[in-house]
Amino acid sequence: MAEHHAASDGKHKASANAGGSVHGNSRPGAAGGGGGGGGGKGGLSGGLTQPAGWQSLLSFSILFLACLAGFSSRLFAVIRFESIIHEFDPWFNYRSTHHLTTNGFFEFLNWFDERAWYPLGRIVGGTVYPGLMVTAGLIHYVLNLLHITVHIRDVCVFLAPVFSGLTAISTFLLTRELWNQGAGLLAACFIAIVPGYISRSVAGSFDNEGIAIFALQFTYYLWVKSVKTGSVFWTIGCCLSYFYMVSAWGGYVFIINLIPLHVFVLLLMQRYSRRVYIAYSTFYIVGLILSMQIPFVGFQPIRTSEHMAAAGVFALLQAYAFLQYLKDRLTRQEFQTLFFLGVSLAAGVVFLTVIYLTYTGIYAKIHIPIIASVSEHQPTTWVSFFFDLHILVCTFPAGLWFCIKNINDERVFVALYAISAVYFAGVMVRLMLTLTPVVCMLSAVAFSSVFEHYMGDDTKREKPPAEDSSDEDDKRNSGNLYDKAGKVRKHVSEQEKAEEGLGPNVKSIVTMLMLMLLMMFAVHCTWVTSNAYSSPSVVLASYNHDGTRNILDDFREAYYWLRQNTDEHARVMSWWDYGYQIAGMANRTTLVDNNTWNNSHIALVGKAMSSNESAAYQIMRSLDVDYVLIIFGGVIGYSGDDINKFLWMVRIAEGEHPKDIRESDYFTPQGEFRVDKAGSPTLLNCLMYKMSYYRFGEMQLDFRTPPGFDRTRNAEIGNKDIKFKHLEEAFTSEHWLVRIYKVKNLDNREPLDHKLRSVVPKQKYTSKKVAGHILFCCFNQK
Amino acid sequence: THCSCILCGPTVTLAVVLVGVCLCTLLSEKVTQMMEWASKRSVIRMNGDKFRRFVKAPPRNYSMVIMFTALQPQRQCGVCRQADEEFQVLANSWRYSSAFTNKVFFASVDFDEGSDVFQMLNMNSAPTFLHFPSKGKPRRSDTYELQVRGFAAEQLARWVADRTDVQIRVIRPPNYAGPLLLGFLLAVIGGLAYLRRHNLEFLFNKNVWAFSALCFVLIMTSGQMWNHIRGPPYAHKNPSTGQVSYIHGSSQAQFVAETHIVLLFNAAVTMGMVLLCEAATSDMDIGKRKIMCVAGIGLVMLFFSWLLSIFRAKYHGYPYSFLMS
Repeated sequence: MAEHHAASDGKHKASANAGGSVHGNSRPGAAGGGGGGGGGKGGLSGGLTQPAGWQSLLSFSILFLACLAGFSSRLFAVIRFESIIHEFDPWFNYRSTHHLTTNGFFEFLNWFDERAWYPLGRIVGGTVYPGLMVTAGLIHYVLNLLHITVHIRDVCVFLAPVFSGLTAISTFLLTRELWNQGAGLLAACFIAIVPGYISRSVAGSFDNEGIAIFALQFTYYLWVKSVKTGSVFWTIGCCLSYFYMVSAWGGYVFIINLIPLHVFVLLLMQRYSRRVYIAYSTFYIVGLILSMQIPFVGFQPIRTSEHMAAAGVFALLQAYAFLQYLKDRLTRQEFQTLFFLGVSLAAGVVFLTVIYLTYTGIYAKIHIPIIASVSEHQPTTWVSFFFDLHILVCTFPAGLWFCIKNINDERVFVALYAISAVYFAGVMVRLMLTLTPVVCMLSAVAFSSVFEHYMGDDTKREKPPAEDSSDEDDKRNSGNLYDKAGKVRKHVSEQEKAEEGLGPNVKSIVTMLMLMLLMMFAVHCTWVTSNAYSSPSVVLASYNHDGTRNILDDFREAYYWLRQNTDEHARVMSWWDYGYQIAGMANRTTLVDNNTWNNSHIALVGKAMSSNESAAYQIMRSLDVDYVLIIFGGVIGYSGDDINKFLWMVRIAEGEHPKDIRESDYFTPQGEFRVDKAGSPTLLNCLMYKMSYYRFGEMQLDFRTPPGFDRTRNAEIGNKDIKFKHLEEAFTSEHWLVRIYKVKNLDNREPLDHKLRSVVPKQKYTSKKVAGHILFCCFNQK
Repeated sequence: THCSCILCGPTVTLAVVLVGVCLCTLLSEKVTQMMEWASKRSVIRMNGDKFRRFVKAPPRNYSMVIMFTALQPQRQCGVCRQADEEFQVLANSWRYSSAFTNKVFFASVDFDEGSDVFQMLNMNSAPTFLHFPSKGKPRRSDTYELQVRGFAAEQLARWVADRTDVQIRVIRPPNYAGPLLLGFLLAVIGGLAYLRRHNLEFLFNKNVWAFSALCFVLIMTSGQMWNHIRGPPYAHKNPSTGQVSYIHGSSQAQFVAETHIVLLFNAAVTMGMVLLCEAATSDMDIGKRKIMCVAGIGLVMLFFSWLLSIFRAKYHGYPYSFLMS
């Protein structure tokens, strides 16, 4: 953390120094490349010899330190445990990347995975966003080309931290375009350590989001740049970055809706310009064609409702541009204004309908059990906002306020970004991730404007004369309500007066307190990263009273057992959470996994788990199941086990088989879910219960508790005498966390009736019986 | 013997037919009566007599789903009213669906109109939902498990489908309040804009836009969406001590009051930041600006540390605090 403190100290200095000259940089774009350029140049050349050099060195080192802090604060898990892939989805990504590096790119695109979703299989190449795997594979290839031999696993583990450094840089660039360099540096420092982003990008969390946030921010940066300059060069860059984003994450839909929204609002505000026209037309066409190259996306961009807003705005923009063209030729302005109003109203209605449809679609999806069962798909409490963003969540509205007060084309964009992202984050916890970057940027704006006014020293009064000359430029523009190229500079010029007013004492107190807040933020981030977001969840750790640590490695122990002791083509049934891990670590065929594309298949597994043994046996026979794997936390008090997830299995099964499975059967008459004697008999005899608690009744964990005491649910189990007819215990891990059962083959047929055999030769006319016997033999041979 | 057989046969058949016809007419009479009632109101109201005649007494080829309730105001049964609404929704969905037949009827018995029915069925709680199958006696599962399944119309529909094989798609009457309110709001805005059509400057007022954007952001970050979806209580009153707690003890949940407090705190911190900047940039006299500056930093510090302390109380094991613990 030392680096970070250094970084946060340094950047304030930079923002104070930056004040004068950087504004000059941002102006030419905003003022349309007019006469303002001279002023900016003057500002730079005034301090070219020393301060500018210092400034860029300082900026560079701050940025570098921010990247370094971001990278190293994501390494808790690697240092505490080892270089290991985390959780569930990353295991699939890792397995695919491994496939890519061993078999080549085209083989990967055509990959049909027959080890998943038995007996259906899964077309991986066409149902996956390949950006992540290709990125990791490419890095691996380049490193090997340079004779730096690393295992692909290490590339995968460290990919997300490396990309978080890149995210910091792209956030810096974007914020610099929106406000100034000081704010950019602050934003880079914020995004490097903010928990809302770390939660998805710690080392080992090899998931799409890790690289997608970089792509998102970089696309936005290039978009803002192309709106500012109106050059096709930047727009093509934006399209390429968008293409990368599409290849990496389904969240690209956010971009393809936000950018049209930006253009639409700009049109409404009558801020239409050639720059906007060029930027959006190019972006839409090229971006559309590029995005359709991803097999998983295919023709969606011209079919589905969430892409229609972009098309609508494209049509609207063309109509608007045409009207503008006509306006120059014709004189009847009234008519044209009316026409414009009509067009924009119609487009607005279309736009709102599309948004509404999408919204209702999302809302309907929330109520399907399989989606509702995932904890990430829940709405967000204020606590999670505060937990993930800390001080930033309170201060970023201030940044939004400043942005709207000093509005220009690109600040419209950031305001829309903030408002839409905050809405989505409120609806779903996992979308906190898209909110985090904009919160960092706007908070940086807020802090930077405070520091700009309160950190300046007396030396600042010696301003380059160029600033004064450019003020005339402001006055010229001030007639126009919207163009606000000069507003920021006005702050600076007024700052001189302010410095005379608020004495140095007040200023330094304010600065100190603000720095203290930032320090608390850094401490909070480190604490959260270390405690909440750095657990691999494949390896668990428990702490004794004296602080020593126990590693519970049951998962890998069990998966390795499967790998070593079962047939290569054995089929393992488990709840879908563990599908990817079984495939990745045990290399065995699974029935369902975390790619929950087939609800009825999952419901079938849920039905097997929640039926009694003989009914379950029929299902398992029909699905060719060889082994059943369950997670049981009752011995060590692990709360994420299958009994705690069990009601979701029942619900999902009930959704497909309402005749056979009823949720109410698993509750007591009082409506409680209990595993002890008072529990419902259906629960106490279902397969999941029996598999979890088999032989558990004999086990006394503690002298104070009776045998068969479940530590997770704090209850003595109700069914201690569990016998299996069709299953047998195959493996139980050290802490009983993973239990594996073998599904027995069908019993042998009843032994042949000896009497019949002995009788047969005695009879003289036996044609019928012999015939029957032969027939039976044939049948048996079959 | 032959003769008598020939004679007897028709008589017996006739008798059977007569009885059958009689029963049939009785049955068809009952069904037409029920259909007539059902056409008037989708939930048929019954008293003791009607209940005995149409539900208890054979013959009957239709299933009855009956809600036993106590809707009179003096009974003060709030749950009954809510359950009644849901039951009405279900009955209406059935009554106006294209699949409507005389297989199932919905009825209700109010305690104050048919207390004898309650006694007859040995019932002492309301609301209760019972199903009377067309054939045979009611079984245990013909009593709806209200405690477990709740009284949402969808749950009731599943139960009815389970018991009678009649699938009812619950169609809730669309709630016009939201669109109406929106329409009203739009009309007001449109009217205002029309009245002031020569002076539309207020549309270009950045303060208005900034203020509304801030309101939206603050509403979202204080977890109002969670409240909207989950519907938590406003605050919790401890029944034994009478103490009202506004803050939920767990970090997984929240009360409505709590989110309002958080909203205010966030707004205060934001305002503090804005004041700090205003103090430095505005052209008021120095005294006022100093006051603004001190007020700003005070707001930021005070409310942030307060927020931190609330967070700490909710998130157990969080070690840091500032100014107040």
